[in-house]
Amino acid sequence: MTDFARSLIRNTLCAAIAALLLCSAPSHAQNASPVSAASPVFREVTDEAGRTVRVPQPVNRIVSLAPSLTETVYALGLQDRLVGDTDYCDYPADAQKKTKVGGGISPSLEVIAALHPDLVLVTKSFNRLETVHSLDNLGIPSYATDPHTLGEIIASSKKLSEILGAPEAGASVAADMQRHLADLQKRLGDLPPKRVLFVVWTQPLISVGKDTFIADALRHAGAVSIVDAEQAWPQVSLEEVARLQPDFLIFSASHSDAVSPAVEALAELPGWNIVEAVSNRRIAVISEAVNRPAPRIVSAIEDLARQLHPDAFVEKPESGKEKLQRENPSPNSPPSTFSRDAAQAQMTVPGGCA
Amino acid sequence: MKPLTLRHLLLQCSILVIILFVVVVVALKFGAVPVSLYALGRDLLRVVFGQSSQISSDYGLIIVNIRLPRILLGMIVGASLSVAGTSFQALLRNPLADPYVLGVSSGASLGAILALIVEPHLSISPLFAALLTPLGAFLGAAATITAVYFLGRREGQIDSTTLLLAGVITGSFLSAIILFLMSTLTGSLRGLSFWMMGELSTPLQKSVYWFLGVGFLFAAGAIYTTASDLNLLLAGEKEAMHLGVDVPRVRLVVYVAASFLTGLAVSVSGAVGYVGLIVPHVMRFIFGSDHRTLLPTAAIGGAIAVIMADTLARTVVAPTEVPVGAVTAVIGAPLFIYLLRRRLT
Amino acid sequence: MSSGSALARNPFEPARAGGDSRLSVEQVSYAYSANPTQAPLFTLEATSFQAKPGEIVAILGPNASGKSTLLNLIAGALAPLSGRILLDGFVTHSLTPKTRAQRIAVVQQESRLLFPARAWEFVLQGRHAHGRSLRFESEDDVIIAKNALAQVGAADLSDRWMDEISGGEKQRVILARALAQQPLLLLLDEPTLHLDIAAQVGLLDALRRLAAENRYTVVVVTHELNLAAEYADQVVLMQRGRCLRVGPPASIYQRELLEQVFQTPLTVELGASGRPRVTVLSERSSEL
Repeated sequence: MTDFARSLIRNTLCAAIAALLLCSAPSHAQNASPVSAASPVFREVTDEAGRTVRVPQPVNRIVSLAPSLTETVYALGLQDRLVGDTDYCDYPADAQKKTKVGGGISPSLEVIAALHPDLVLVTKSFNRLETVHSLDNLGIPSYATDPHTLGEIIASSKKLSEILGAPEAGASVAADMQRHLADLQKRLGDLPPKRVLFVVWTQPLISVGKDTFIADALRHAGAVSIVDAEQAWPQVSLEEVARLQPDFLIFSASHSDAVSPAVEALAELPGWNIVEAVSNRRIAVISEAVNRPAPRIVSAIEDLARQLHPDAFVEKPESGKEKLQRENPSPNSPPSTFSRDAAQAQMTVPGGCA
Repeated sequence: MKPLTLRHLLLQCSILVIILFVVVVVALKFGAVPVSLYALGRDLLRVVFGQSSQISSDYGLIIVNIRLPRILLGMIVGASLSVAGTSFQALLRNPLADPYVLGVSSGASLGAILALIVEPHLSISPLFAALLTPLGAFLGAAATITAVYFLGRREGQIDSTTLLLAGVITGSFLSAIILFLMSTLTGSLRGLSFWMMGELSTPLQKSVYWFLGVGFLFAAGAIYTTASDLNLLLAGEKEAMHLGVDVPRVRLVVYVAASFLTGLAVSVSGAVGYVGLIVPHVMRFIFGSDHRTLLPTAAIGGAIAVIMADTLARTVVAPTEVPVGAVTAVIGAPLFIYLLRRRLT
Repeated sequence: MSSGSALARNPFEPARAGGDSRLSVEQVSYAYSANPTQAPLFTLEATSFQAKPGEIVAILGPNASGKSTLLNLIAGALAPLSGRILLDGFVTHSLTPKTRAQRIAVVQQESRLLFPARAWEFVLQGRHAHGRSLRFESEDDVIIAKNALAQVGAADLSDRWMDEISGGEKQRVILARALAQQPLLLLLDEPTLHLDIAAQVGLLDALRRLAAENRYTVVVVTHELNLAAEYADQVVLMQRGRCLRVGPPASIYQRELLEQVFQTPLTVELGASGRPRVTVLSERSSEL
């Protein structure tokens, strides 16, 4: 063995011993999370991925692995039971204070296990199957949602509320959403839908498939996506877009200001400037709530509808009673998370998809 | 003149085993959730003495059910990849060979993708569903090994150059198919890119660990019986034959066993890069090129490397986990450059 | 000839070749074609010769005369198309590589090492054929390797790295490795190709000494006319795959024969040592 190799081994051994000593230093371990002492009662449900899940009753400790599910939990008024969420869960602001378990694709199983959840919420579009399998291995039940349309989002929230033991809140949220959507439908009535391209990413050009909840959201806003693809995030050719000439391009962003310079840049590019919507700056920007299958998506739909069909929203003067009701919601109802003002107030923080 | 003796070999291995032990202790202690050394020791002793049920629910679950399996997996994957890398470098007489150069990882990835595509259409118990991806990957690897073997033969025997060409081309071809599938099936394959970078959080049953361990010992043992032959093979194939090496037989044994080890590792952890390339060089640098030393030290060294990388992957941006393949790449490439420069001076 | 009738002979007992010759090449021929359907690119016609222990045989001829092919056949690396090669009664090609390596040692011209090695490690490789496949070298192995280095006068090179020593020194270490195999037959393929004159003479002197001391049979492939004449006991003259003549140098080194084989004017004289000496004539000198 060379001298260098000998000294390398000696140094490594010293480092190893030092590391061992370092480990012995007392660590400030987290306080043990309380484990419910009552004998568990289980309820078998089938989740939206077709799996049979044994949910302990009642569900006191919830971990959410997707921002949309976090928002839904808050909408149902169950935020006190939410003990952990992902780094991307930013709405409402209180969600950022919860214990973080990591990203959606690679959460830390250790942190989840240390939180002793009764149920972990996942969604097929944001989380991995392997995470679910790992949780199964640890004996932690997980419930998966997989909404593809607005109707499914509403039904999903309702079913979730039943499983979590708050069916009244769920019914209320569902009714609220349906009412807003019905109002919207009344306003839009027989207006022909605008042909739009929902831009997820510009280079390469990626839009949404017809089977996604975003596509369904567009339909509810009086629009129809010109992209007719089976995949969830299809890559579209610019030629095709130029041929179809959508009426509007739709971007989702935290600030509409963030989009303008990007659009200006696009207008210069040779392929893009033949798309009339770009050269005429017919752009609609809506909040990123459209990317999350949660109750707040309704506000983004309303916003989009206003931008696309402004004539349908000429306001009739409000009666005093309606104004009073709007400004002073009754304290017992869950926070109206899909009011447009609240949505705009939250648009400053960037969020992830789904 | 000091030829290698068994005692010397055991001494070198013992040093490495001590380092491995320390690395394992560190890996068990550090993670997203802090654990005290006392609790760690106490719970490990309970496991050893079969009193698993008495483990306190605070840390026991984390240590025994999450970290320990992960560390075991890291050991087997690291050891398998390093032994495979050493073997391929000798077989192909190329210091740049790594376990994936013959296309095994591409085949495994394709197998995993096909398993993911097929999974929703099968009605199988959840127990089996979790194993579908590793199983698909392993079958993909096995198919690739067989195909490359038949393509890499010349006059009925494995020929190093032909084998290398066949393996590289097969790997490229399979990668192209994978890219095509991934671009057209973006929805259902989300998260696969994470796996393909190499990660150790795949959930596995206990029996799978047994299979991995036995498989590793068997294949690595088979390679080790050819250790002296490999030393001679490096001097040239014709010379090795004249010195008494049954070259076709050795080539076949090493090819099959090393590819099997690679397939084993990739099936359960994706393609963890750089370990199979660099650990053999580091061990060669320290202990010399004699394969009777190199193979066991590379195995232990690989286990150490992967466990260290995984500990970093779990802690550097906790609670988010980075794929371990990303850590090995970030550390491995500069390390290789350093070794290269030292060798040249 | 062996005693007893052929019928009563034990079939497992090695067939004894004539006299006390160790190596017997009997009507060996070979053909090589790139494609089974094409005509052969190269043929070696039936060749025979015999060699005794302690004898040096030179296979002499110009390029592409089939010398190396013949050597590979003797080494057992190739199977002859017809005929057979016996070493102490055993057919060389039918032996396993390991058993073959215990009896036959081949010295190539150059040795390319992928990873650096010291000279003693290199020589120890010669011991691989003896003993189990996976093993650690024993005391005996070390002694034999040391002796081998000493016999070629390279004992001082023992701890040097192989890529740091000169061509001549490397050749001696390669020869030491062959000796460490403790062979019966020593085969060398153009060993003097990259050596300077002193090294060439040194190597062949060593070969002659070793052949005499250790009773090796040595077969050397070469195209060096004078070295073959000086050191060989027997010469096998080859041209374009045909063996033209086998015999002691005196009978081979005839002017007309050599001129025909090597396609160049030359003269043959008797050298100081009693062996033939060849002088190749240039155009200028032939005009004189």
